[in-house]
Amino acid sequence: MSNSEHKRGELAISVQHLGLVYKTTIDRRPTLKARMSTLGRGTKHTRIIHAIDDVSLNVPYGSVLGVVGANGAGKSSLMRVISGILPPTRGRVEVYGKVSTLLALGVGFNPSLSGRENVQLGGLAAGMSRKEIQEQFEEIADFAELGEAIDAPMRTYSSGMFSRLGFSVAVTIKPDILIVDEALSTGDAKFKEKSLNKIKELRGEDRALVLVSHGLATIREVCNEVAWLHKGKLIQRGEPNKVVEAYEKFLKVGRSAAIDEDI
Amino acid sequence: MKVAPVEVYEPYKVGLPPLRKYWRSLWARRAFISEYSRSELHEKHFDSVFGQVWLILNPLLLSGVYFLLIVIIGGHSDKVRYVHLTGCLFLFYFVANSMTAGSKSVVRGQKLILNTAFPRIMLPISVTYISFINFLPTILVFFVIRTALGFPFGWALLWSIPVVLITGIFALGLSILISCATVYFRDISSFLPYFSRTWLYLSPILYEVSTLKPQLRSIEAFNPLFPMLDSWSRSIVHNEVPQVTSLLQGLAWALGILLIGTYFFLSRERDFAVRV
Repeated sequence: MSNSEHKRGELAISVQHLGLVYKTTIDRRPTLKARMSTLGRGTKHTRIIHAIDDVSLNVPYGSVLGVVGANGAGKSSLMRVISGILPPTRGRVEVYGKVSTLLALGVGFNPSLSGRENVQLGGLAAGMSRKEIQEQFEEIADFAELGEAIDAPMRTYSSGMFSRLGFSVAVTIKPDILIVDEALSTGDAKFKEKSLNKIKELRGEDRALVLVSHGLATIREVCNEVAWLHKGKLIQRGEPNKVVEAYEKFLKVGRSAAIDEDI
Repeated sequence: MKVAPVEVYEPYKVGLPPLRKYWRSLWARRAFISEYSRSELHEKHFDSVFGQVWLILNPLLLSGVYFLLIVIIGGHSDKVRYVHLTGCLFLFYFVANSMTAGSKSVVRGQKLILNTAFPRIMLPISVTYISFINFLPTILVFFVIRTALGFPFGWALLWSIPVVLITGIFALGLSILISCATVYFRDISSFLPYFSRTWLYLSPILYEVSTLKPQLRSIEAFNPLFPMLDSWSRSIVHNEVPQVTSLLQGLAWALGILLIGTYFFLSRERDFAVRV
């Protein structure tokens, strides 16, 4: 099946000078009690996080953009802005097509419900119709290789089963723009290979893909372009081998001249 | 030729999101609400025989316990009092359950909120809908009791429909308001049981409005459930037409809470993904 609506090379995602700053709580579980007991003492309960700073990117249809970076680099935040979950603080994001929201990770929000029910609920929340989900459900279940476990509560799932189901949902429901966040990093070798093949297959269909992964070999193999983020800034962007090499060097050395200049 | 983008994400101004767009996106996802409640109810009640019986047994036991309380401490008791207690208790628990479930709804939906863009208000709406579905069998139980005790039927019973509607709007508004507040103060859900117990005693459930001491009548002004429960009792217990002032008062409370709750929720929901 090829993507009929969008031609190869047309713009899919345009990120322009994106900045994301947000306020979040310091306590993991903010309580009224904590607020009351520190009233008038000037204790801070929130902190400001500069997640993304002036990032610009373009992703055309028919290409795969790999995003690499250390933990806390802002990779996931960037994906959340592109899928409309977090509103940007500065700049602008234009999306030319239907984005798969990060369904892969949203699957299983209610662990006492079965895999089937969770997939349905996740799909409905993302704005799909019942019919669309029904039509694709068999394919999802087949790809995830869960067997009868698909009707068991998700709290009984192993982490591998969880991510297999998540990945299957993300790649089966065919959006124009697909975002896969770390979903390839779990699962056994056999499933990894299978998911890699699926990604390549999708690339052939002229969809736009954004792949966030720590698996550098995967990134090198499937991406047309790689963006390297560090502490919210776009450090380097370009040809996969070159960027991954620079990133690997950075990982080994701990810091590189390029980053020192920037910070 | 330049193609117009399907979605544009830009910094937002403080305040409400574009309402028309929000409503469209909410309406497009109405299937979520019914599917969510179906799965939840199925998981809670329909997997076991006892689960289904429980839906009926729970309200019955509840009304039995409170009736015992009245008989022991109140002295006089008759069947009118019992029927009033039962009916009002069921309506009260619809509101209280919706509030309790609402408080957890957004926080529990954390995984979905972090990973999917959708109108967050769907979550408290869904749990209120579930509470409403759970309320329906209790009406059935109530009518069985009512018929068994020989209470007369009449047209005034139909007034209970607008009363349920008003109470439903109120329960929804409360659930939306509490769900938003709980994101910022997680311990609200631990206060709620005490709050709802107090609220139960301050509402005309264990007593009728007409028997309330005049010096205590002032609580009427602060308790939104007062006019609703009074109209409810007049209609379904006494087969009388409720007072128009009570109905209007109830409606004003319900719409007020719904508006305030929705305003708070909508103006804050873009924050939820970094707060839950």
